[in-house]
Amino acid sequence: MHNRLKTKFLGFEVRSPLVLPAGIMDMSFSALSISTENGAGIVTSKSLTLEPRTGHKGPVVAEFEGGFLNCMGLCNPGIVDGLAEINEFKERSDTPVIVSVFATNVNDFLKLTEFVNTSKGDFLELNLSCPNVFDEFGIPLAASKDEVHKIIKAVKKISELPVIAKLSPNVYDIVSIAKAAESAGADALCMINTVGPGMLIDTKMVKPVLFNKLGGLSGPCIKPIALKLIYQTYSDVNIPIIGMGGVKCGEDAIEMMMAGASIVGVGTAIYYRGIEVFNKINNEIIEFMDENGYENLQEIPKLEKLLM
Amino acid sequence: MNKRITLKIAKIKDEIKDIKTFSFKYKLNAKPGQFIMLTDFEGGEKPFSISDCTKDEFSITIKKIGEFTSRLFQKDVGDLVSIRGAFGSSFFISNGKVLLVGGGYAVPTFYFFSKILLESGANITLINGARTKDELLFVEKFGKLGINLINTTDDGTFGEKGTSVDIARKLLVSKLQQNQLVSKPQLGDNSRFHPATAGWKRENVDKFDFIYASGPEMMMKALQGVIGEIEYEFLFERYMKCAIGICGSCTVDPLGIRLCVEGPVLPKKIVEQLTEFGKYHRDASGKRILY
Ligand SMILES: Cc1cc2nc3c(=O)[nH]c(=O)nc-3n(C[C@H](O)[C@H](O)[C@H](O)COP(=O)(O)OP(=O)(O)OC[C@H]3O[C@@H](n4cnc5c(N)ncnc54)[C@H](O)[C@@H]3O)c2cc1C
Ligand SMILES: Cc1cc2nc3c(=O)[nH]c(=O)nc-3n(C[C@H](O)[C@H](O)[C@H](O)COP(=O)(O)O)c2cc1C
Ligand code: FES
Repeated sequence: MHNRLKTKFLGFEVRSPLVLPAGIMDMSFSALSISTENGAGIVTSKSLTLEPRTGHKGPVVAEFEGGFLNCMGLCNPGIVDGLAEINEFKERSDTPVIVSVFATNVNDFLKLTEFVNTSKGDFLELNLSCPNVFDEFGIPLAASKDEVHKIIKAVKKISELPVIAKLSPNVYDIVSIAKAAESAGADALCMINTVGPGMLIDTKMVKPVLFNKLGGLSGPCIKPIALKLIYQTYSDVNIPIIGMGGVKCGEDAIEMMMAGASIVGVGTAIYYRGIEVFNKINNEIIEFMDENGYENLQEIPKLEKLLM
Repeated sequence: MNKRITLKIAKIKDEIKDIKTFSFKYKLNAKPGQFIMLTDFEGGEKPFSISDCTKDEFSITIKKIGEFTSRLFQKDVGDLVSIRGAFGSSFFISNGKVLLVGGGYAVPTFYFFSKILLESGANITLINGARTKDELLFVEKFGKLGINLINTTDDGTFGEKGTSVDIARKLLVSKLQQNQLVSKPQLGDNSRFHPATAGWKRENVDKFDFIYASGPEMMMKALQGVIGEIEYEFLFERYMKCAIGICGSCTVDPLGIRLCVEGPVLPKKIVEQLTEFGKYHRDASGKRILY
């Protein structure tokens, strides 16, 4: 891969700033491998829970003009099998892995952290923000800065890996939540999770398209929201941000960086541009740097902070 | 873009016990081997291969297995269901001498495929296998296509006796080896006046250019062992959720290719690399399930 795409993230040198986000093409070691082979610099596992989950009944995805709704329902093989897949991946690849975990209370997060400590994962990401399990678990933890603080603080005490907090876009005051995560010791932020949730209706059968009725929005339509939230947060925290939400091309990735992201997630775009999307965007980033006179990623400027 | 479309069931045909064909009036433009995702919005959206597809109609042939398919079996003509697709890779359209090996509910997709193969001038031998007579599918429909149809049942209650793979082995291995070992011509063999070339000629007669399989995974695994050097394509099944290549539930080890995008039809050079083939698959949670 091109040297000009190299960047540092929490002490790791990564060969591309592009990240495979949680929940997309990451159920197995081989799924993680294929994104790496196609140019992703870091990969994230599916959000793992203590017990396996089969997820919601289908339809679990619904397409519309601006993107997708999904309500996978946190299907995953459970922390034990999930980590086995990650370990198998690490036997074949030196690409850093973010292990995403999901729980609804401190105790379960601590149990998950203990498991992750014994794995070959490189980072621990706390999914505090899944919008698709409302019926089961209620409002995501990321909606409350006190909950965010409490969980991260407890996890940080025992985690042997850097801790990333995955935040929800569906909040009024993102800055205070981000600050709560930082003051609790989070090493980085990942934003944003899916937006909404929203719904779509089948007009012939007069039914919600998703069996879960509601699903989180991803894809191009959420990019402006992601940019705004990252921009709002960036200058108020001193920890790096993994920016994601609707990134589809090199220029989208550059926008994320200008808003404040250190590295950039590319998820739903796999649908639009194929699994090769990572290499395509890598090349487009280089083209952008050529055209605009930037030697490397570090030279890409951040937007000036204006009052919002 | 694979837009969702909600359609009336135009026709329902009882094939055999627990297997029905559902037809729809819709220009699907599918290729043989591809599948659709079907839902009734009552819980579940499931993949089904296309068993027939004409200019303005298509069919799927479904086996009643669990909750979703049982509910589908309650539906009547005129009821609405919603589909996405067609998705995935399709069979290579050969114009040579081809062998199709099928078993169970995965056989009907060969009906659609055979029609396309015939259009391209292929010479088709189809092994249509089932455990017993009552489970054999599409016997009449295949019969009408005018292909070389070999029906076979494990218990011999209809057609040949033996599994699909037993028959394939006879066609592919035994005869070939027999002919190589025994150059003595058989009665009625045109080549009997040229004993030296008899084996060669017979080998040519039975040589297939391409083999296709659609059926239980262990059937395909066994078939792989008798195919030899011939090119082939197998139709695989894995748990599918999104069908558009983002959720990762249908990927196969160790390549990480997605059966909903790069599959479900996979060519020999890919199949040979699959370490999970015939060993395990993953369930709805992603947990490995051994065969
Ligand atoms: C590419 C492909 C083509 C298929 N073509 C046909 C076909 O032409 N005719 C036919 O009858 N069946 C076909 N199937 C299988 C069909 O999808 C399952 O039989 C159906 O989903 C069962 O649902 P259920 O709720 O009735 O059973 P359940 O009780 O939910 O499941 C029974 C079994 O069906 C399989 N299954 C269930 N859900 C899925 C899913 N979402 N994706 C894949 N497999 C699943 C699993 O092996 C499971 O153990 C195909 C599957 C795939 C992947
Ligand atoms: C199918 C699907 C499944 C997802 N599953 C998870 C998950 O398990 N955990 C999580 O933190 N985020 C999950 N997400 C959110 C993504 O990680 C990402 O934050 C979001 O999709 C925005 O990026 P994108 O527009 O590039 O897809 C999922 C998104 C999609 C589309
Ligand atoms: S079913 Fe989601 S990737 Fe194939």
